[in-house]
Amino acid sequence: MNKRILMSGNEALAEGAIRAGCRYYFGYPITPQSEIAAYMARRMREVEGIFLQAESELAAINMVYGAASAGARTMTSSSGPGISLKQEGISYLAGAELPAVVVNVMRGGPGLGNIAPSQSDYFQATRGGGHGDYHLVVLAPSSVQEMADLTYLAFDLADKYRNPMMILADAILGQMMEGVKFKNGVKDIPGKKWAIGGARGRDANIIRSLYLQEGVLEEHNRHLQEKYARMRSQEVRYESFAAKDADLLIIAYGSMARLSMEVVNKLREKGVKAGLLRPISLWPFPYTAIKRLISGVKFIFVVEMSEGQMLEDVKLAVGSQVPVYFYGRLGGGVPTPLEIMEKIESLLKNRI
Amino acid sequence: MVTIDDYQGQVTAWCPGCGDFGILQALKKALVDLKLEPHQVLIVSGIGQASKLPHYMKCNTFNGLHGRILPVATGAKIANQELVVIGVGGDGDNYGEGGNHFLHTIRRNIDITLLVHNNRVYGLTKGQASPTSDPGFISKVQPQGVISSSFNALSLAISLHASFVSRSWSGDIDHLSWLIKEAVQHKGFSLIDILQPCITFNKKNTYRWYKERIYKLAEEYDPANRLAAFKKAEEWGDKIPIGIFYREKKPTFADQLFGLKKGPLFRQRLDPSQVMPLLETLS
Ligand SMILES: Cc1ncc(C[n+]2csc(CCOP(=O)(O)OP(=O)(O)O)c2C)c(N)n1
Repeated sequence: MNKRILMSGNEALAEGAIRAGCRYYFGYPITPQSEIAAYMARRMREVEGIFLQAESELAAINMVYGAASAGARTMTSSSGPGISLKQEGISYLAGAELPAVVVNVMRGGPGLGNIAPSQSDYFQATRGGGHGDYHLVVLAPSSVQEMADLTYLAFDLADKYRNPMMILADAILGQMMEGVKFKNGVKDIPGKKWAIGGARGRDANIIRSLYLQEGVLEEHNRHLQEKYARMRSQEVRYESFAAKDADLLIIAYGSMARLSMEVVNKLREKGVKAGLLRPISLWPFPYTAIKRLISGVKFIFVVEMSEGQMLEDVKLAVGSQVPVYFYGRLGGGVPTPLEIMEKIESLLKNRI
Repeated sequence: MVTIDDYQGQVTAWCPGCGDFGILQALKKALVDLKLEPHQVLIVSGIGQASKLPHYMKCNTFNGLHGRILPVATGAKIANQELVVIGVGGDGDNYGEGGNHFLHTIRRNIDITLLVHNNRVYGLTKGQASPTSDPGFISKVQPQGVISSSFNALSLAISLHASFVSRSWSGDIDHLSWLIKEAVQHKGFSLIDILQPCITFNKKNTYRWYKERIYKLAEEYDPANRLAAFKKAEEWGDKIPIGIFYREKKPTFADQLFGLKKGPLFRQRLDPSQVMPLLETLS
């Protein structure tokens, strides 16, 4: 079955998870991601998996904690307020080194905010929204196809590193419909020797994030940090477009990268040498790739649906080498390509 | 003289025909009958269709977090016992996301009234099953029907010795407004579970469905009898009782706190000189 199927991003993400072998989904309704739950409710029946609508997000993430410790491929999804509630559980998953996939289809915040698209949970996702020194690999899809592909990848990475992974999407990506192709069949899921599941003939496996003896927690943290270092060196993902000869480099992720692609095309038509860099992994962030790309660049323009959160990472990468400009919309506001064009053109005018 | 118009808030955004309208009307009527002025009343809600109610009132209102109605109401009541505090929200808000708070607010016996708009479905998020949905209830997210048993708030509240446990429905404004008056006047935690049709997402528990089943508890029914209350609370199906199921007089949280005996916290002035003797013993 390798036909292209028309689907919403939320549905494609859910199907990607099913194809990756996820058979345990725990959720709690919240807009704009409820379609993931509806799709899972239907599909889990077909594949004889479990869909469970919990009584709260706290319950859902802890059900994930339980299922992951038993060695299952498991997932939960939510948006803003619900993701905040899941942070305690995510910290425990990281501390106990359990693989799981957490999906955030971002909406406007802070607080209840609204249900419109936003990218304002970047800090929460990439800096560790819960307590303790930990990281998730954060993957940012920018098409319906990637909603499926990156979710599939997230399950593999989760098992590879025994660490929770996050898919950071937004309401645009969740709701929009595009054709999508799926990989065939479910892959072999690696055996999990560490999982709890009966200890006959072997020592008991213990899943915990509690280490009380002196020095042991520090040692455990060192071990986690070594793992994050491996992620930093192996899991950086990004894509560039028309960037090789660019004077002006736009940096954007997720739905804003799609929009910026259009801006790049329009600017090229007008003779401006524009290019795009799109981080796919937001953590680890492609610092080195950006550093390498900017040697010939005259200025950088960052677009986000926030007041400049990824902007801080871009500035860390760029330093004072090249000037960095920013355009963002807040609280569910979505910029148009025209808006961005105008902003860039006025910048260009003032610089000449 | 306070009138219904004094409580008139913003224009409503509920579906035409929603049970929420009856509850809003009954609440306003009860407050006016009790001669309570808008400044004396605080309505605290969570998130959901029901929790939009404070927007449609004009008095002190607090529209907070999904599931957290009772902690906010508790904080407000402790800080200012002079306020008449009324919590409002849906069955998802109160029995799902906020279920834990429901248990512990009953245990503390905070002197507030809780109105639960029980439409037995998640309305705002478009029709998922709620804790009070019937087993077998079919939705987009429960395609094979709900397989968990339904949450019985009345039995649970009685088991926790809640001091006022009652039920009404949105289709009988006189009964509901009478009940709200009783609950507000009762000293201690008062629960009113309000059965309410959701005309958009709950095609089973309709106006007609309720009308055919609901009856009022008899006059001779004694709400002091806990065992009888359990029995009535378990009655559901062809006949559904409404009224005051259980009432128990007991001290409220504030009655038992030394610090609150001198009146509301917000009226108490700090007097640093009072701690001087204590400080001197330490020096
Ligand atoms: C922490 C959090 N989780 C989920 C939501 C999404 N949400 C809003 S209202 C609601 C439930 C609505 O059902 P109910 O409380 O029964 O009220 P109704 O809309 O039926 O009146 C949910 C899940 C949210 N706003 N915040």
